Parts: sequence; structure tokens; C-alpha cells
Amino acid sequence: MIKLRFFIFLSAIFLVVSLLPPGAGAQDSLHIDIFGPGEERINVFIAPPKDLQSEVLFDPELGSRIYDGLQSNLGLLPFLTRVDPGHILGGPGVEGVRGRDIDFRKFNLSRVDLLLTIGLEQHARGPGSVEIRAFEVFDQRMILGRAYDLQDMDQVPLMLRRFCAELMDYLTGSGDFFRSRLAFERKQNGNKDIWSVTPQGTDLTRLTDLRGITLSPAWSPDGSRIAFTLMRDDRHHLGIWDLEKGEEQVFSMPGNTVISPAFSPEGRLALSLDPMGRPDIYWLDGDYGVDETIMEHWAIDVSPSFDASGTKMAFASGRLGNPHIFVHDFDKGRVQRVSYEGRYNTNPSISPEGDFVAFTRQTPDGHRIFVADLETGREKQISFGPGNDEDPAFAPDGYFVAFSSNRSGDYRLYLTTRNGDEPRQIPTGEGNAKAPAWGLERDF
Amino acid sequence: MKNRTVVLLALLLGLIMFAGTGCGKRAVEAPADPAVEELTEEERARLEEERLKEEMRRQALEERRLQEERMERERDAVDAEARIQEAMEEITANRIHFAFDSYELTADARSTLQKISEHMKRFDELRLVIEGHTDERGTAEYNLALGERRARAAYEFLVLLGVSSDRLQIISYGEERPLVDESNESAWAKNRRADFKVLD
Repeated sequence: MIKLRFFIFLSAIFLVVSLLPPGAGAQDSLHIDIFGPGEERINVFIAPPKDLQSEVLFDPELGSRIYDGLQSNLGLLPFLTRVDPGHILGGPGVEGVRGRDIDFRKFNLSRVDLLLTIGLEQHARGPGSVEIRAFEVFDQRMILGRAYDLQDMDQVPLMLRRFCAELMDYLTGSGDFFRSRLAFERKQNGNKDIWSVTPQGTDLTRLTDLRGITLSPAWSPDGSRIAFTLMRDDRHHLGIWDLEKGEEQVFSMPGNTVISPAFSPEGRLALSLDPMGRPDIYWLDGDYGVDETIMEHWAIDVSPSFDASGTKMAFASGRLGNPHIFVHDFDKGRVQRVSYEGRYNTNPSISPEGDFVAFTRQTPDGHRIFVADLETGREKQISFGPGNDEDPAFAPDGYFVAFSSNRSGDYRLYLTTRNGDEPRQIPTGEGNAKAPAWGLERDF
Repeated sequence: MKNRTVVLLALLLGLIMFAGTGCGKRAVEAPADPAVEELTEEERARLEEERLKEEMRRQALEERRLQEERMERERDAVDAEARIQEAMEEITANRIHFAFDSYELTADARSTLQKISEHMKRFDELRLVIEGHTDERGTAEYNLALGERRARAAYEFLVLLGVSSDRLQIISYGEERPLVDESNESAWAKNRRADFKVLD
């Protein structure tokens, strides 16, 4: 986080930053509907980095880190297909990084839709300047160009996330996947603490050190706080980790349980407490005191999840004898049942648009992730094990879904999409990792 | 023959006493006999000695009685301590088990709680934490709620049996603290439980 303050972002000093609407006739050639059936593909190719001052790369390490990082980031986008450098007729190289120096025909013939170039300029101090450009090959048109002045090699991942966020903005309308950060539980030495990592697997950071069991992290909408359950000294507590202070506060709650905190889009905190002798869902006030009841029932009510408008809350309830998924509509004052199949449906995560709910269903083969369409009532299984797939969480773009799975033996975090694309593991180190929660990076 | 002897001896004793009385009066009037005085001094010392010895014995006996009483009290106290220790061990050795996704108390669980309530009523100073646990098959947040339901079922039964609610505390650990860290039916059955911990 601190890095952000040191990072000098020279946006388009000399590059024409083209985020202008694409010209008539050429428009939509490289736009992807991520809410479509997930069958569209764009072929992408990243040209080898070029030194802007000489024929030979002054610092090959910087070049390869940027190249590999871009490959890795773009490799996480299921709608991009990487074109093998060996398949580029006439070789993968470019004469220069600017449009006028590129022979687009060879890339066009090689079925490349999207071409990226990397230009480097070495500085006396620090790694130097980096220029990254993205071109639509067919139209021979630059769609995005950015220059960055790096003070430190460690800034490469952040630079690439920023570039990729803008590229994804252009391609899909939402680049929040690259502006997000995941909080999750990580188990080490019998304790569980809250850690964070980018969805791209960089900047793994420990946030709490509470010598207890911390569970169910949830980001505030502004990314300034993480609420979580803390079990310590024979009691449940509400923990609030504060980004500004870099430390946590611990609050006692009435009753015996503090389960599944979740922020509404307005920043109100909801969670399941049992002051009435049963787990119900309550709003807390600004000082983390109990404000009012949202969901009161004799049965278990846990795991609230809010859409971006704050009008819908998905939750899990045992009111039918077994846990099922429901959606409470605040405007209509109505509770809609979402899951009908199976006997154990939990872990709801409602999409920001409020149109889908991802949840975990216990099947004979273990837990699997399903996505229910609230309009049609149709369900789609998006994870297939083996082992248990749990804790689905919709990304702010409503496209990616993070979840935890013990398919490799231990619990690890994975990324898929609402379409059920091939899961990609997010590196989190040793120890079980569970309960991923998306937050938007502050001051990104 | 024996009677005559006793009578004679009695008469003789009577004569001696009469003669003695006469002598006594004279002795009072006569100047003090140093030998007699010396004897009296010795006698006094002996008596004093005897008195001291008696006092010491009395004191010792008293000490011993006190000590024995104290030891008796200590013995009682040790027994109480031992008994409470035993009760605590029995309480914590007990655990009750549940069916999958259920917090219903079985007949076994109820009889276990009955035993625990007896200990609780015998020793007013005991306070309990009831820990609710689940197996790993559910999911974490719902399991936390289920663990609460299990601990609360035990809590409510103990309160019905007459244990004051302010001596009982509940915590759910959900699936976070399995008894057996394995993934099979037998481990799951053991892990679906409520444990009892005595608070210090």
C-alpha cells in the first residue's frame, strides 16, 4: 500500500492516450461482453520488449519482468488467447513500439487481434521509463498507451495492474479485477489470521496477528477497513482492521456469536449475532453497537451479502430444516427462496448487479459452486472439484468469482468466472487459505 | 477374721488421729522444726515440679487435640478439593455428540448433562464454558451457527435441570477445532460435539 505513495505515475506525457470512443466503422471490434455466454475470444500477442535508445536492451531483467508479468496478468483473462511467438509469420519482433513502426500485416495474417508493445528507456537512477501500448491489429490503431517512470523494480507488478485495469476497462467495460485486492483467512501454527493478496497473486501481506482464530473477512466499500470474526479467550469478538492505522480493534458483541460480517454499499456493517438466543442478522451502527434487526427467525440466519445498490441481501438460513439460500429485497420487504436442490446450500455471494447469487452446494462428491440466476431461477454449476469448493465471492466486476478449494489436498484460493472458466490458483503460500473477500484498492 | 482386723485397724487409726490432734496444737505453739520446714520446701518443689509436668502434659494434650482437629479439618478440606477436582475431571471428560446438521440432544446426551448438572449443583463455585463443535463437512459460517445451536441446546438443558444460567457460558468453534483431524465417518461423528470446560 505504501508503495502507492512513492509511485510516480506519469500518465501520457508524450503518448497519445487513446481512450476516446473508437471511430465509427471500427467500433466494437475488440470488445468483449463478459456477461455473455463466455465463448468470445480475442487473440493477444505481446511483442518482445524494445529499448527506446538502442538496439540492445540495456536491462534485460526489467524487460523480461514486464513481459512475463503482462503474460501472467493477461493469462488470467479467460477471453484472451495467447498467440505463440513461433506462430507469427516473419518472426515475433517489432521494428519499434509505435504504430508507425509496426508491420501489422504479419500479425493480422497470424490472427493476432490485440498486439502489445513494451518500450524501455534506462535512467541513471532507478529502472527507468516504461511505455506500454495496446493496438487493435485489424484497424492498426492504438487503443491504449501509457508511460510509467519506475523508481524501483518492485513497482513493476503495480504498474502492470494499472495498465491491465485500463486495458480491461477498454475491452470489457470493467477493469476492477486489476484494481481489487483479496482478503482471506490463512492458517499457520494452529492460529488463523487475515492476509491479503492481489487476485493476480502479487503482494501477499499479513494483516493481523491476533493469536486466535480469525474468520470471514469482509472489506468496507471504500477499502479502508476489514471486518472479521475473532475467536479468543472462550468468546467471539468483532474485529475491525483499519488500513490507515495498520492495526485492528476488537469489539465485544451482545450474545455469544459473531458470524459472517458484511458491509453494505453504504458502509453499514451487518452480521449474525445471537442476543435473542439464536443467530439472526443485524445492522450495526457507526460505533459497532447493535442498531436494528434485518432478519429475525427462530432458525439460523447467517452470511449476509449485499448487491451494489444495497436493495438486495442474500443470506443462508436453516428455516426450512436444512440450510438454503434466500434473497431479502429491502424495497419490497420480501424474502425470495433461491436454492431448491440439495440439502445443504450455504455461502451466498450476490453479484454487484443483484442478478446472480453464487453459493456452495453439498453434493455426493463434496461442495461445489453454483450460480443461480435470480430472474429465471436457473442454476449453473461453475466448479467441479475434486474435494470441496467453498466460499464463492463475486468480484466487483460481477465476472470473476474467487473461491476456496481443497482439490490439491489443502485449502487454497482459486479464480474462476461466472461462466465456470478453468480455475486458476492464487498463490498464498503454506497453510490453508479460505474465505476470499474482494475489496477495491484505495488510491489505486 | 478379716472384719475384726479392719475394725481393729480403724480403732487404732482413730487413736492415732486423736493423739495427733493434741500434738498438732503443740506443734503450732512450739517453735518451727527446721527438719519439717525443710521437708515442706522439698515437698513444695516436688509439687511444683508435678504441677509443671501436669501443665506440660495438659498443654501437650491440648496441642495434640488441636493438631488432630486441624488435621481432621485439613483432611476434610483435602477431600473436598479432591472431590471438586474429581467433579471437574468428570465434567470435562464428558462430551455429547450430535447427528449431521443437527443440534438435537440424544438420550445419551441428556443423561450426560444430568450427571454434569449434579456436579454443578454440588459445587456452587464451578462455572462452565460449553463449546459447540461441528464436523468439517458443512461450511464455516453456517457451522459456526450450528455450533452455537449445539452449545445452546446443552446450556438450556442444564438450566432446566436447575443450574443457574450465570454459571454457564457458550462459545461455538464451528469446524475450527476438530477432536480428530481426519476426514472419515468416524472422525466426523467424534467431531460433532459439545465439550465442557471448567472456568478458573
